Amino acid sequence: MRLLGVFEKDSKELLILQDRNQLSLENINDVKEDFANYTMLKNRDKHIGSKAVKGNGVFNFRYGPVTGGVGDAGVFNIYTYGERILSVDIDPGYKKRNIEILIKNTALHQAVNWSENVCSNFAFSHSCAFLRAVEKAGNFRSDEVTQRIRIIGIELERIYNHLHVISRLSKGASQNVLASHLEGLFEEALRTNNLFSNSRFLKHTNGLFIDKNNFKKLDEVALKVKNVEEKFRELYEHSLASWNFIDRLYKTAMLDQKKALEIGVTGPTLRAAGRREDLRVYEKFYDNFKIITKDKGDVLARMQVRAEETMLSCDMVINQIDKIKKMRQNHNKIDESSISGFGMGYCESPSGLVLYSVNMNKGIVQDVYISTPSVFGFKAFADSFVGYILTDFSFSFDSFGINFADCAR
Amino acid sequence: MKSWALYGITRKLTEPFKKLEENTKKMDKIFSKSLNIYPIDVGNNGDLNFEMAALATPQYNIHRFGIFFADSPRHADVLLILGRCSEKMIEPLKETVNQLPEPFSIIIVEDGTDFGISARNLDLPNVIAYYDKKLEAGEILSVLLNITGDRK
Repeated sequence: MRLLGVFEKDSKELLILQDRNQLSLENINDVKEDFANYTMLKNRDKHIGSKAVKGNGVFNFRYGPVTGGVGDAGVFNIYTYGERILSVDIDPGYKKRNIEILIKNTALHQAVNWSENVCSNFAFSHSCAFLRAVEKAGNFRSDEVTQRIRIIGIELERIYNHLHVISRLSKGASQNVLASHLEGLFEEALRTNNLFSNSRFLKHTNGLFIDKNNFKKLDEVALKVKNVEEKFRELYEHSLASWNFIDRLYKTAMLDQKKALEIGVTGPTLRAAGRREDLRVYEKFYDNFKIITKDKGDVLARMQVRAEETMLSCDMVINQIDKIKKMRQNHNKIDESSISGFGMGYCESPSGLVLYSVNMNKGIVQDVYISTPSVFGFKAFADSFVGYILTDFSFSFDSFGINFADCAR
Repeated sequence: MKSWALYGITRKLTEPFKKLEENTKKMDKIFSKSLNIYPIDVGNNGDLNFEMAALATPQYNIHRFGIFFADSPRHADVLLILGRCSEKMIEPLKETVNQLPEPFSIIIVEDGTDFGISARNLDLPNVIAYYDKKLEAGEILSVLLNITGDRK
């Protein structure tokens, strides 16, 4: 059982719990189990990480919101005496946009737009999780073709995100040729997204019904994805033969499975710590899906999980395109204004589980709670970075594939 | 497989680039040799940050045009403001502008959302271009090349 969210409604404190692919909303008084991440989730908009450390020579090295090494608007309070990191406290408030409030009282298409703008590099995952929650609320499922097109979107999102993370890791390790080629593939992947959906970040595509006739260039998309996979496979195999590269990532920012589970982290970070968990396995239209795991829990393991998932995602995109082309789609128009009720939906984003809890009334969003993988990822980063040194910052941070936009919403 | 050094020169990734005309102020007299840009995220939804990462890819190869990313605003010619300001980013943004060495210019690129406050309303000095929509990496490069004028 994992705690994914804490919020108040009608003076009651409610917990969002996850057990495999089952989600539930419980009153805190009815839950007997204690969760180590409860306080962290309650304060997720104020600070994430550990408390300030005091001592002889210890100071706060404040990193961000405007520094060369932090591209995103946020602050890392790093407590150190000059070398070893003693504690990390993260302030995500610089990126706070109050999207959960902005979504309230909006119609469905506008709410999808907001969900995509929580975090552009997880835009498709966010809109998927939101729409799945709406489907639960309305007690219906989208048609098979729509669900398969969503799988393509989710996997395309995974491909470019993973390529970006691995290119950042190789750049941090001064593997400039590898980094340059991976960056090239990253741009290729963004262009492939554009070919697929007319958006480099896969926006304005998702819906309760996705018309397959809108996708005219699926063959070209499949060809480009195949090309990316072949080039990436060659680069990845070559990178594993580079001792300089491996040595930099090996045993850096280690996070064991017990700690990862306590934090509530999901996605590649959890799988790199040896936990065989990926909620895509429960989805009906993922054919021949396999979960990739590593057991060291370090930056190298996280990189390996992402690399192998990239190749797997490429195969899945190609297979899904092949299937969709042969399928007929029923044009069952869904009456959005009839959707009322409560629902929760999730999506396995490139960096972990995105979850939406939604209340709908006649097609209008009444309230929403968003659980994002970056909240847990920042805590995982803060905990795993302790004991290492500042030059490990870029490897440690980049390996989690997280950002402040996703965290602060 | 070839060593990295040899592998690196076997594939040419850089593409020819044709800039589009943009409504920006030309600064080619001041920034005739090189242009150092410092991007600052003031609360965008993330896609402009990723477009900046895309701008650094070999396809665009911005260094051939004399364009570089500065590591600090104190080394920058142009401050590229990405997105609309969250409340907490207004003061850090103003302080960043104070740190820019003269002469400097500011470009504002928003992400097409309604979040936060437009940096255009903050009375920042030397704003030479403003976009209320999201720009892609190629479009951002076009804007920068319009500032520096035609040179290779």
